[in-house]
Amino acid sequence: MFRKYSVLLRMKYVEMFAYRLATIVWMTGAMVQPLITMMVWMNIDPDQENAFIFYFAALIFVERMTSAWDVWELEREIREGTFSYQIVRPFHPIHWAIAENIVYKALFLVILIPAWGLLAVFIPALRLDQIGAAQWLLFFCALLLAAVIRFLFSYTFGLLGFWVTKVTALYGMFEAVSLFLSGRIAPMSLLPPFLKTISFYLPFRYMVGFPIEILTGSVQGMDIVYGFGLAAVWCMFFMLAVLLLWKAGLRKNQAVGG
Amino acid sequence: MKRHWRIFCEFFRTCLVEELEYRSEFLGNFLSSLFGIGMAILTIQVFFYQTDNLGGWKYADVLLLLGIFNTLQGLIDFALRPNMSRLLQHIRMGTFDYVLTKPVDSMFYVSFRHLVFWRLIDVLLGIGLIIYALIQKHYMPTIMDAVMFFISIGSSLVLIYALWMMLMTTSFWVIRIDDLSFVFNSFFETTRFPIGMYRGWLRIVLTYILPAAFITSTPALSLLGKWNGMTTILSVVLAGLFLWISRRFWRYALRSYTSASS
Repeated sequence: MFRKYSVLLRMKYVEMFAYRLATIVWMTGAMVQPLITMMVWMNIDPDQENAFIFYFAALIFVERMTSAWDVWELEREIREGTFSYQIVRPFHPIHWAIAENIVYKALFLVILIPAWGLLAVFIPALRLDQIGAAQWLLFFCALLLAAVIRFLFSYTFGLLGFWVTKVTALYGMFEAVSLFLSGRIAPMSLLPPFLKTISFYLPFRYMVGFPIEILTGSVQGMDIVYGFGLAAVWCMFFMLAVLLLWKAGLRKNQAVGG
Repeated sequence: MKRHWRIFCEFFRTCLVEELEYRSEFLGNFLSSLFGIGMAILTIQVFFYQTDNLGGWKYADVLLLLGIFNTLQGLIDFALRPNMSRLLQHIRMGTFDYVLTKPVDSMFYVSFRHLVFWRLIDVLLGIGLIIYALIQKHYMPTIMDAVMFFISIGSSLVLIYALWMMLMTTSFWVIRIDDLSFVFNSFFETTRFPIGMYRGWLRIVLTYILPAAFITSTPALSLLGKWNGMTTILSVVLAGLFLWISRRFWRYALRSYTSASS
């Protein structure tokens, strides 16, 4: 297993370098929307300026670390029939996707952490000195869980591609709804109460917002425990979904192009 | 000009025929457009849940701005976006030579050859939102407001075209990226909100260097009767300038183009 992974990782690493320019452009482009949202909030409540800068900077970071693109890949592969090559391999295709995610997210990490450090020199709002060790630990656990849930969510939709032809459109709708419920349009505390309540139970908060809330300290005590509990439940739910859909999908799959 | 118009009508006709083969997708597309604008309105409502103005704009004003944004985005998706990936493909595969040998202006051809009609739904929804916002505000634009609006929306269309073409022209050098339109989207997103929201140097950049301010805010203000002759003239001048630059840039790129195959 370990040897297989090291080969996969190396392969994906080389692949990534072929598309490095596209990756960087994509990454910077993805920062624009959170930055605009940040400016909107800074206009609405200028007294909270520093809190918003910190929140949205953390959002950009968490967004990159948890982003999932597997549904697009899977949809294309299933539609074009190239997915058949993956099915006949003795190693489950999900490992390719996992390896790819690890490689890209490591790249983001290597770019974003020094960038954060550099910016913190000029922007006091970004300094991290009052965050304790326990908080860091909780943050990393929540971040990892968030990345896993979002990946599985995306992969679940990708597998639905065996049945539905335009699965990315469906996924896009969920993404749009999740903008509100995951804390990307507004920090949870600023949402109308109704949205706040439903976002607590739905998976989206645990894909992006929850780790940020731990970092900013806006979720505390028992709420953290509940948060992890719900995140774990959703994580298991999507794991099961991937497993079942995979089995059913293989039976359903009709390769295109023969 | 007249000849180009005739050719454009021909593109229009062929694309329409092509699109009519996929009639069954209409309902799905309509729903997804409706969903999109609904989400955008909801976003604004979330913001206005905490405040009553955004950069000096009231709720109905921001809705009007969103209507203009949606209309323009629909037009981009209708006429410009479908062509971006095709130009990249032409350059990569070397089939761009066939475009060059056609007796049509190449810049015109690559920017309007392919049209996606169902995107016009977004245009209609955007116009609907503009009307709704005006009713909400109980404001009936005067003739002069309308004239100013049409002048400024005209220049924003030219500006969008020019900026889009400049980006598209860079594909002669960066052929590795599948879809450069992503870069444009990031910029275009800034026009979703009133320009008054941005502060300091960013506002200057978004007014003069990347003229986002003239794309949605100026037309919106004109329609609300808050136009100012100087700004409208400036928007026309800037639009002309950007169009000229993009034209020069396209010519320059063509000169350095060496076909892919040989």
